[in-house]
Amino acid sequence: MTEAPCERRTSPSKRMRLDVTASDFAELEHLHPYGALPGGNVFFAEQARSAIRPSDLLPDDDAWLHILGYCNGRDLGCLVRSCRYFYVAGHSPELWRDLVLRQCEKRAIRNVGPTWKDTYVKLFYSETIPPHRPMSIPGIYSDTLYRLHSCRSFSIPKVWLDRSPTDTLERVSVNDLTVSQFKSRYEKPNIPVLIEGAAKDWKAFERWNRPEYLLQHAAGRTFRTTSGVAPLPGNFSLDAYLKYCESTILEEAPLYLFDRTALEPGSHLWNDYMEDLKSSCPYWDPELMKSNGHDLFQVLGEGRRPDHTWLIAGPKRSGSVFHIDPNCTHAWNAAICGRKRWIFYPPGVTPPGVHPSADGDEVTLPLSVGEWIFQFWDEHMQRKQSAPLHERPLECTAMPGDVIFVPHGWWHLVVNLDKMNIAITHNYVSDSNLSNTLKFLETKVDQISGCRDREESIKPEHLSEEFKKALKQQVPELLSEALKVPTWTCRAWKDAEAPKKSVIEQAKEAGPCPSFSFSFL
Amino acid sequence: MEDAIVKLTSKEGETFDVPRKVAMMSKLVKDTFSDDDDEDDEEDETEVKEVPLPNVTAPVLKKVIEYCTHYQEEEMTPIQTPLKSGTLDELVQAWYANFVKVDRNMLFDLVAAANFMDIKPLLDLTCLAVSILIKGKSAQELRQMFNISAELSPEEQAEAQRENAAAESS
Repeated sequence: MTEAPCERRTSPSKRMRLDVTASDFAELEHLHPYGALPGGNVFFAEQARSAIRPSDLLPDDDAWLHILGYCNGRDLGCLVRSCRYFYVAGHSPELWRDLVLRQCEKRAIRNVGPTWKDTYVKLFYSETIPPHRPMSIPGIYSDTLYRLHSCRSFSIPKVWLDRSPTDTLERVSVNDLTVSQFKSRYEKPNIPVLIEGAAKDWKAFERWNRPEYLLQHAAGRTFRTTSGVAPLPGNFSLDAYLKYCESTILEEAPLYLFDRTALEPGSHLWNDYMEDLKSSCPYWDPELMKSNGHDLFQVLGEGRRPDHTWLIAGPKRSGSVFHIDPNCTHAWNAAICGRKRWIFYPPGVTPPGVHPSADGDEVTLPLSVGEWIFQFWDEHMQRKQSAPLHERPLECTAMPGDVIFVPHGWWHLVVNLDKMNIAITHNYVSDSNLSNTLKFLETKVDQISGCRDREESIKPEHLSEEFKKALKQQVPELLSEALKVPTWTCRAWKDAEAPKKSVIEQAKEAGPCPSFSFSFL
Repeated sequence: MEDAIVKLTSKEGETFDVPRKVAMMSKLVKDTFSDDDDEDDEEDETEVKEVPLPNVTAPVLKKVIEYCTHYQEEEMTPIQTPLKSGTLDELVQAWYANFVKVDRNMLFDLVAAANFMDIKPLLDLTCLAVSILIKGKSAQELRQMFNISAELSPEEQAEAQRENAAAESS
C-alpha cells in the first residue's frame, strides 16, 4: 500500500459527514428541564416498586396532557406537588403558555418571566415573586414529554451555521445582478436565488441590530405572534417579546412574531430600508412598475390591496414549516439579524410530511419545525440524494445581509439559527407571475388571504375584478399579455387540476426517449 | 351503504355489530377502511369488515358504542377552552354529563379507549371529566383520590410547595 488508510483524502466516513443525517439533530442542546427521559429507558430503571403512579391509571402521556389542558393555574399548582409524574407533566411549558394566552386574549403580554409559569404568575401578582426553579426529577420515562422538549432543543448542525457544500441553492452577489439579469435568470424561469449582501448597506441592517433602537420605535405598540401549535395568538409589547426570546424553558414551537402592520409605508421602520432597497435591488423598486412590471398589486392602493409586508422576528429554532406563499405571489426575504436555514421544494413536488388535498387547499403537516425534523429528515435526505434532479430539494443558509428570492409556487421551510432573528419580507406580483395570479384570484377565491380581516381591503370575491380594472387603467399592455396565457404556467397549481395518472401511464406518455425539462415552472 | 355493519372485536374476543356510520366516528376504524378503498372501486356488500381492538375490553367498548350511537341523534356540544364553567352540566347536554358519571377506573379506561380509537369528542368529554375531578383539590387530596404515591422526597416536596404558593392562589 502506498498510503496508510488514515491519510486518504476523502475517506467514506468523511464523505458522509458532509451532509446532515437525522442523528445530527438528536444530541440535544439542553437536557429536559424536569428530568424526563425517553420511554425506552424504563427498561434500564429499577424495577421493584410498590407505588401507584398516574401512568398505572392511564398509560397515555398525551391523554394526561389533554386532561391537564383543561385545568386552571390553581389546580396545576396543586397537581405538580402531588407526585413525581405530575410534577414533570404538570410543568409542561405548553400548559402554562396556553393559560397565559387565554388570559391575554384581549390584552397584551407586557411582563414576561424566564418560563411561561413565571409569566402566568406575573399576571396576578405585581410584587416580585421568586422565579420558578425547575427540579430534575428522576424516574420519569416518557416519549411524549421528551419529544416535546426535543423539538425545541434539537442540535443545530454545524454545517448550517456557515456556507458549506450543503448549500445547494443558487447564489449571486448583489453587485453582479442587474434588473434584466434578475428577471431573465431567476424571476421569469421561477428559480430561487440567494442574493449575497443585498441588505448589507440598508440603514435597517445597522440600526435594527441594536435592541434599543427597535424598542424606541416600537414604544407603545404591540406585535402579533403565532405558532402552529398554540391555540391562540399572543400580542406582546416589543420588550416583553425580546425577553421571551431569552426564555430558559422552551415549549415545542415558540411564538413567532409575524406582524403585517409594523412596516407601514412612510413609517420610521419603512424608511430604514425602502430607499436603500431601491438602490441595491432596483428589480424590487415599486416606483419602476411601468418599466419593470414590479409590484402590480399597488394599482389597488395601499389599504385596499392584500397584506404584503411583514416584520418577522423570533428566537432560535423558531421558523415556518413548509408552505407556499399566498395569492400566487413571489417574495423577497431579507435577513437583518441572525442566520436562517432555508429548505426549498420545487413547485408541484410535495415535501415529506405535507399532504395537500385534491384541490390543493388543505395541507396537514407537523406543526413545529422540530417535529418535522424528527419525523421526516430521513425521507428528506433520501430525496436530496436520489430524487430526479428537477425534483430535488435545495438548501442554503442566509447570513445577515443576504436576501432570498422565493419564486411563486415553491414550497419552503425556514429555521432561525441565532438567539435573536429579525427579517423583512415583501410579497408581490410582477409581469412574470401575473397570468397565474389572475387565474388564482378568479378560480381559488377561498384560498385568497390577507384581506379578510381588514375593513378597508377589497374582499376576496371582488379582488379579481378590481385588480383587472385597475391594471387596465395603469398598465394595460401587461394585463393583455397576461390574459393571453390560457393555462397555469406553474406546476404548483397546474398539477392540482390535472387528473392523477399512474406511474405507468406517465412513463408511456413520456415515450421511448423522454425529454427532461428542468423548468421550475 | 347505510345499513352496512362493522364488527368491532374487544380484547376478550367478543364481537359487537355496529352500524358503519357509528363505527366511523373512530378515526382508527375509518382509516382501516380507506386502506381498502384503493384496492376496490365498489364495496363488497357480502363481506363484513371486522376491526380488532385488543386494547379495549368489552364493558368499555360497550360504553364507547353507546356514546357513538347517541351522538348520531344528538351531537355533543363542542368543548372549547377557555371553559365557560366548572360544571359538566353547564358545558354539555344532560345525556353526556350523565354518561361520564362512572367509577374512576371506567372513566380512565374510557379516556384510554377514546385515545386509542381516536374519537375526538369522546376524548374531550372524558378528559374534561377527569379534569373536573382534579378541580379544587389540594395535593394531598389528589393523592388520596387517585391513590397515588408522592414519591417526591421531603426536600422536593418543600421546594414544590414554596414556589407553588403563588400559582395556587391565582
